[in-house]
Amino acid sequence: MNRAITNFDQKILDSIHKYSLELLSDTGIRFPSEKALGIFREHDFRTDGEMVFFQEKDIQTALDTVPSVFTIKARNPEKDIRIGGDSYMMAPGYGPPFIIEPSGEKRNALLDDVHKFCKLVQTSKYLDFNSSIVVQPTEVPQETAHLDILLATLLMTDKPIMGSSSSEIAARDSLKLAEMVWDNTDEPVMISLVDSLSPLQYAAEMVDSLMVFAKAGQPLIVHSSCSLGSTGPITIAGSLVISNATTLAGICLAQLINPGTPIVYGLGGSPTEMKTGGYVNASPEDAKHTAIVTALGRYYNIPCRSQGALTESFCLDYQAGMESAMMLTTAALSGANLSLHACGTYGSMLGMSYEKFIADEDLCGAVKKLMQPVEFTDDAFAMDMIKELGTSGNYLMEMHTLKRCRSEFFIPDLNIRTIHNKWLEMEPRDNVERAANILVKRFAEYEKPEIDPDIEKRLVQYVNQRKGM
Amino acid sequence: MAVKDIAEAVVVMDRVKVVELVKTEIAAGTEIDEILNAGLIDAMDIVGQKFSDGSLFVPEMLMAAKAMKAGLEELKPHLSAGAAVSRGTVIIGTVKGDLHDIGKNLVALMMEGAGMDVVDLGVDIDAEKFVKAAIEHNAGVVALSALLTTTMPTMETIVAAIKEAGIAVKTIIGGAPVTAAFADQIGADGFSADAPGAVELTRKLLAA
Ligand code: B1M
Repeated sequence: MNRAITNFDQKILDSIHKYSLELLSDTGIRFPSEKALGIFREHDFRTDGEMVFFQEKDIQTALDTVPSVFTIKARNPEKDIRIGGDSYMMAPGYGPPFIIEPSGEKRNALLDDVHKFCKLVQTSKYLDFNSSIVVQPTEVPQETAHLDILLATLLMTDKPIMGSSSSEIAARDSLKLAEMVWDNTDEPVMISLVDSLSPLQYAAEMVDSLMVFAKAGQPLIVHSSCSLGSTGPITIAGSLVISNATTLAGICLAQLINPGTPIVYGLGGSPTEMKTGGYVNASPEDAKHTAIVTALGRYYNIPCRSQGALTESFCLDYQAGMESAMMLTTAALSGANLSLHACGTYGSMLGMSYEKFIADEDLCGAVKKLMQPVEFTDDAFAMDMIKELGTSGNYLMEMHTLKRCRSEFFIPDLNIRTIHNKWLEMEPRDNVERAANILVKRFAEYEKPEIDPDIEKRLVQYVNQRKGM
Repeated sequence: MAVKDIAEAVVVMDRVKVVELVKTEIAAGTEIDEILNAGLIDAMDIVGQKFSDGSLFVPEMLMAAKAMKAGLEELKPHLSAGAAVSRGTVIIGTVKGDLHDIGKNLVALMMEGAGMDVVDLGVDIDAEKFVKAAIEHNAGVVALSALLTTTMPTMETIVAAIKEAGIAVKTIIGGAPVTAAFADQIGADGFSADAPGAVELTRKLLAA
């Protein structure tokens, strides 16, 4: 078979790996952090100024200590998540500073939006963990905004959280808060995103937060992405090599600091819009890229991240649905273990939308269903029943059907499955308005999960103190 | 052979041909001003228009600008002293704490393409560096880029520092999360949501 997303075999993965090693040893990766450089020197890596050079054995040693599967604890143990293997965990939007309203207008995101999205995450059937920037609240002091978000995700949800990697201080704050919630923070209690800076370098603050989390043994998504044609070659092959080399270097640093630090491997490759120079997430190229990256994740035996339900659109139209579905479905079917941006984002991750969040939940549910292997048990074959009913059967009347009628098929919440007449009479008929009705229900049904009042008090106190209140 | 062939060569991004044709025209005694205006500057206007209507892609537009600049280099020794080839100097950079530079680079390249002298300070640039560069290069415009909500407040600090330094330079800001309202709020002289807009805005500010 030579379909575009499956035309890579072992040999292609080998050559991506080989060329990455070549870059790592010949060109090197820039780490503008004295602390990181110190660690590399301590382990006898060749350095030249801020450039660090890696040999094959360094990378191999690092890869050997990365766990292939790990579990992140939630505040509610029933909601712990296992990362790796067959699992696929989803979080909502990451980073949008704006809310796009159904009217098309955009407004600055506020802390109140963070709170509302926490309610939606908590009541979501499909989202497995929180984002550390579900939206960026713009009205609060920016240097402590991460604390407001961390506090919200810890108090308003009992699903796993993401740590904040925006600075070393933010990373330390994340750990401090976690220590108040969990008795044992030697085990993973959060996951954090560290992005490299293409091509072939890391920003100082990202390296510093990587080091803080690695030292604490807390999982990291080590992610490198090229904008195809601007911060990397226009070709997927060339960009893959740059991103892979950079991510491997980051993984290596984390393993030097603390062998066994759980890692999620991630590479991004989004086309540059050649008519404007803009950034395009949702595209067949990005989706194809995802398929290769997940294969590389398996090649290295490390859990793998991909992008989520992304779109360039700004409203709940055909484009939004088509792009989001293409991106998320490809990720799921090619074996990604974790997606950020699974719900709610518009316009290249710059805007968050409540209505799209609800629409994306249907997509997440459908994709999760799609991924489930078809059941081939005796009960599923149902041979006895088939023989008994022969040609006269009405399966709707059977116990077998009754028992499974609520669980066998995916049931959408927003999408319609009705006849034309009913659809015409539907009030409201418009999907944005129907999403708005679902939102009202969801906010009404939300209940704040229980938490020990002493812990809550200490969390709030810490945050207030850090904010100088 | 005519000056308009130079313009055509610019539009089709043929740097070698542009240089060759400029040399030929100079040798033939064609007015230098004519080569400059009808050959090179007109060409960039065509290129700009084609880029705006989407028929020219970014790398093509940049290559055309490069071809134009190569022609300009040939012309420079023949321009009368003091002739203003440059449309003015712009200092550009991504503000302190922010490392996003794709948009900033694009804005810088397009400004260069439009005939401005651009000093690109890079990323993670603080107020002091912007002020210093503005004075050193006698700049007409300082252009600030930020992609993070967390670094937008730094734009305010930089705009204030530039005003405080008392230098006659205009400030413009841009970047995905930045808005016109924010530009007003921090007292910047202008905002643009995209690179072509930034070039237009700068052109106006430099001419004012
Ligand atoms: C002076 O006059 C002017 C006038 C016009 C100006 C101008 C100046 N500057 C720009 N313009 C205008 O003209 C340009 C051309 O038309 C336009 O420029 P733009 O820069 O907007 O457009 C470019 C041509 C293409 N666009 C881009 O290049 C930006 C694309 C997105 C996806 C993006 C990228 C690529 C990156 N990122 Co970052 N990144 C995102 C961006 C989301 C998005 N869709 O914008 C954004 C901005 N990033 C974000 C984040 C969170 C981060 N990023 C980070 C890192 C990175 C990468 C390194 C991976 C990479 C940057 C690579 C590079 N060399 O620049 C981290 C921060 C690093 C740092 N300290 O700066 C990190 C913190 C990631 C993390 N771990 O959490 C989010 C911002 C969150 C916020 N609320 O502020 C974000 C919206 C994505 C998201 N949803 O998470 C106009 O804005």
